[in-house]
Amino acid sequence: MASVLATPVSVPVPATPVYDVPPLAQHRQFIVPPLSFQLVATGVYRSGYPLPINFPMLERLGLKTIIYLGDPTYLPENTAWCAAHHITLHHFLQPAVKEPFLHQNPDIIAAALHILLDRRNYPVLVHSNKGKHRAGVLVGCMRRVLQGWSLAATHAEYDRYAGEKGEADLEFIELFNPHLEYERAFSPPWLRGAEA
Amino acid sequence: MSQFNKLVPPPNFCQVEEGLFRSGQPTGINLSFLSELKLKAIVWLAVEEPNEALLGWVDDRDIKLYHLGLQEGGAPWDAITVESITDALEHIINPENFPILVCCAMGRHRTGTVIGCLRRLQGWNLSSTLEEYRRFTGSRRNRLENELRIEYFDTALVKLPAKEVRPSWLWLD
Repeated sequence: MASVLATPVSVPVPATPVYDVPPLAQHRQFIVPPLSFQLVATGVYRSGYPLPINFPMLERLGLKTIIYLGDPTYLPENTAWCAAHHITLHHFLQPAVKEPFLHQNPDIIAAALHILLDRRNYPVLVHSNKGKHRAGVLVGCMRRVLQGWSLAATHAEYDRYAGEKGEADLEFIELFNPHLEYERAFSPPWLRGAEA
Repeated sequence: MSQFNKLVPPPNFCQVEEGLFRSGQPTGINLSFLSELKLKAIVWLAVEEPNEALLGWVDDRDIKLYHLGLQEGGAPWDAITVESITDALEHIINPENFPILVCCAMGRHRTGTVIGCLRRLQGWNLSSTLEEYRRFTGSRRNRLENELRIEYFDTALVKLPAKEVRPSWLWLD
């Protein structure tokens, strides 16, 4: 009795592998920034977690420093990429504040601001995982403490990335008032209020 | 360090690239903030004139004001034309104008469309370009039409400055 199943068709195997070019390399024709990428001020960028697809774009920026505010581990491919491009990585453990019993660590934000206060570290990329909350807190504190922005404008910028979540972060940005020391000769061009 | 009067940036203010900023319409309360940017030029994308406070401030400082978007003629919520986009782009990639601010009434749609087309000119992929555009617009109306403008924008329409004077961030290699 003849089988009702179709005869298997043999697919010829190509002599050369289909993916002789790594798939990611095909995207090099595009500039692919990381999620939530933005220039914050001269020499300071913010974004979500950079992935290998973003490396060609980030290499064009000539980054000297990366500040990661996030989880305990940093991906080995990112660490290797930083080393290959002589990028200094500052990895701060910062919890995502989504519950009222968690707090931002003010010492970490102050330490990160100290890095931003020295333009010998520029260009700097500040990133968290999605570039919304933790990166937003550091940028918010930079706007308030270093640039003298009004609180409403600072919150509006935070919200543009974070959306509706993050009330505790907004409170932190308002109340954060650290003691910062820096060398005027190396301070960023957008620093305001240094004489006050 | 924080014992000084607070600065108020215009709505939806953001730095786009070195020498290039975007925002909604600046008013009197934003002028001390804007003064610190040392602007040389402003691209204003609207049918109507900007407010008197801004006009007077621009005039006092000899800032060039490029009023584009006049040819739209229709309602303020009509999408920006391709002609206005290319005109705006030619001003904002000309380093002689730096620092330059590109703005419209709210700094969302017209400004966002021009910046989106700039990203395409820079070679950005479309999703990242639209992510940036949507960050400023939210889910408001008019989004799809402007996003189509960005998606189908023909970057070959833009007259580029000579290689030696192009901004370093244009990345046209």
